Amino acid sequence: MKKIIFLSILGTLMLQGCKTPATPVVAEKPAATPQLVTAAVEVKKEVKPIEMDALKIMTNPNIGNCTACHALPSKPEIVAGDIGPPFTGMKHRFPDFAKLTAAISDQRALSPQTIMPPFARNKILTPEQIDAVAQYIYQY
Amino acid sequence: MKNFILVLLLAFSLPAFADATIKTAGEAETTAQATLKAIQKHSKANYPHIKGDAFVDGAMNFSRGSKQYNKMWTDRMHDDFDQPETYAAAMAAGKKLWETPFTNGKTFASCFKNGGKGAAADYPKVDASGKVVTFENALNECLVANNEKPLEYGDMKTMGAMSIIARGLSDGYRIKMKVNSDAEKAAFERGKTIFYSRVGKLEQACAHCHIKHAGNIARTEELSPVIGQAAHFPVFRPNKATADLEVITLQKRYEGCQKNTLVEKPIKPGSADSNDLEYFHTYISNGMPLSTGVFRK
Repeated sequence: MKKIIFLSILGTLMLQGCKTPATPVVAEKPAATPQLVTAAVEVKKEVKPIEMDALKIMTNPNIGNCTACHALPSKPEIVAGDIGPPFTGMKHRFPDFAKLTAAISDQRALSPQTIMPPFARNKILTPEQIDAVAQYIYQY
Repeated sequence: MKNFILVLLLAFSLPAFADATIKTAGEAETTAQATLKAIQKHSKANYPHIKGDAFVDGAMNFSRGSKQYNKMWTDRMHDDFDQPETYAAAMAAGKKLWETPFTNGKTFASCFKNGGKGAAADYPKVDASGKVVTFENALNECLVANNEKPLEYGDMKTMGAMSIIARGLSDGYRIKMKVNSDAEKAAFERGKTIFYSRVGKLEQACAHCHIKHAGNIARTEELSPVIGQAAHFPVFRPNKATADLEVITLQKRYEGCQKNTLVEKPIKPGSADSNDLEYFHTYISNGMPLSTGVFRK
């Protein structure tokens, strides 16, 4: 009896996968006032996409702003600061890639007096963005 | 067992935050005099080319280009034909505010000895209740004492403009603050704590940029060393949006710096914190000559 119940539950669950996808509901154009349409557009605008281009993250003052302190010798045309070390010889300086992402994430855990902001701990950049930047500079 | 786990937890979480210091000049000293001496010693050792009063030139000490840029704007400010509009407007507005008599017939000059000449060099000071009083506070106190409305402390168009004119009467006078009484020592310590404390999402302290990394470049600008900074405000600074100049007071600059460090509620001009910071900050420029209404990038 127990076996039958078990098998029927299992069978029902497996059949769920055979469900045909629901037909997409075509949103009817609202006959309502134009303001509704504008509101919908404004809501869409608020969702800011997370920048994933490493160079953009590094040079934009409102995202990572890395070049404020670090130079990119591979790109001498990019104006950069010299408070932190330049991004060169990275594989030699960080043979363990994980140590590089750790440094970007929270350098204070490794060096309590540092001026380097904790990009992961204070959610300035997402872990994916940090990884993208680390991968980029690791080339040099 | 519970206690053991708590202890372990503490032991592992403490190391990152136990050492809350930045480990830079002036931090460890316990008196105002020793703090100043330590910072002066650090500056002499790290910037031997900056001699005497040259500290008031700030970041210009590290870049000939910025010196020339400064000269270009300064020449314009004093040129009859090419004078920036906002410079002329600010100087005129400030002059009008300073010179126009109150309803009772008196003027600002009556609130200060020598009509205000050299008065700015007596500030900031600590009042009887232990609060820091800045020169701008004194200007507002003068208004209130004469039944006039005080100016908004952080308004660059009124207080900022008038501060340039009023402080201008003390150009050349040297900062000579004395931190002796308990109240003065306490005010100094409060300001010092702010200066050496990490703030904002970037977790950076004033001391990071202006002591530890002074002379280094942040994006496009050299970082100015702390000595001399408080001696030359308010400044005229280029405003990117208007392509003209704008007035920036010292405490407005504090607010701006904290905005750049991604502080949620940046230090407000005229607040007790801002006054305490100015107290410490000005003491570190002891000996420097005052100047105001100067151009800074």
